[in-house]
Amino acid sequence: MTADRHDRIPWLIALIAVQSLCAAFFLWDVLEDMGPRGLRALSNLHIATETLAALALVAGIAFETRYLMRLLRRTAHLEEQVSIASGAFHEIILAHFDQWRLSPAESDVAMFAIKGFSIAETARLRGSAEGTVKAQLNAVYRKSGVSGRGALLGLLVDDLLDGGVMPERPSAPLERP
Amino acid sequence: MTEHKIWDPFVRVFHWSVAALFLANALIVDDDSRLHEWVGYAVAGLIVLRILWGIVGPRHARFAAFAPTARGVTGQIADIATRRRRAHLGHTPLGALMILNLLLTLLAVCASGYMMTTTAFWGVEWVEEVHEVLVTWAELSVLAHVAAVLYESHRTGINLPRAMITGTKRVPDDIRIVE
Repeated sequence: MTADRHDRIPWLIALIAVQSLCAAFFLWDVLEDMGPRGLRALSNLHIATETLAALALVAGIAFETRYLMRLLRRTAHLEEQVSIASGAFHEIILAHFDQWRLSPAESDVAMFAIKGFSIAETARLRGSAEGTVKAQLNAVYRKSGVSGRGALLGLLVDDLLDGGVMPERPSAPLERP
Repeated sequence: MTEHKIWDPFVRVFHWSVAALFLANALIVDDDSRLHEWVGYAVAGLIVLRILWGIVGPRHARFAAFAPTARGVTGQIADIATRRRRAHLGHTPLGALMILNLLLTLLAVCASGYMMTTTAFWGVEWVEEVHEVLVTWAELSVLAHVAAVLYESHRTGINLPRAMITGTKRVPDDIRIVE
């Protein structure tokens, strides 16, 4: 499942690159069509439609890029995990991260903390200074309203057992009747 | 801070002379002048030498050493997505893509430009148009290249423009070196 997702990422990147080129071309074309009349040219139905189509494409690319970045963050953490249980736990963790509005770097640091990496190890793996990791970890604790690593883990495990914040339940072969 | 000798003198001289010659021809030199043609020949010659150097040159100059893979490109974008800092000593995968793009585009610019001087294609409209479109593409690529170099320097803490001048990459201690 995870491996399958992984294979598609390069294609997604290539697709975004090609679409960006198309969008750049269409935008340039729209600007050419507008000519000296500027925005007033939009009263022409054809040009207005063209503009809308080009902007819709740009919006699509922005959405895809956001999706790609999320996907990359997820796979960066899911790499060795294929079991459904760890997948479900991972979903819970990410749902919380979203809710707490953690930045990408804070999410990454928090994930390492949950997995039990020390601050020094996290700093080495992420290629940053220990002080930076400490500050990011403190931000994670502050945003989640817990006192430390143990409390953070406890909060997440609690939710896993309650089935609380599960964004979408997997078809759950592990669940007991 | 560790120092790594990466770029040999030929790579550096090639980089800055192609940059200077391209900018000169695109922005300064009169398109219809003999000088424009000679600058074009010089760029073509430099690129041919660079391609040969990419086969027989030292390790970090060789195409085999930095041929971009889907895995490498994905890894670099994932680093950006997770704000992880990993340093590539040679060209990064995305950087390598830009290098190939620029080499091929500039070769095509030179070829189409040369065609405009031959009797067979002199004054033929599509050749001129191809030449101009390719130059626009090259200009946009150069802008993207500069922006990306500044962004990556900021992200990784390695001063990349400096490395292309001195040949030495100064890598911060806390960063992780891959490859």
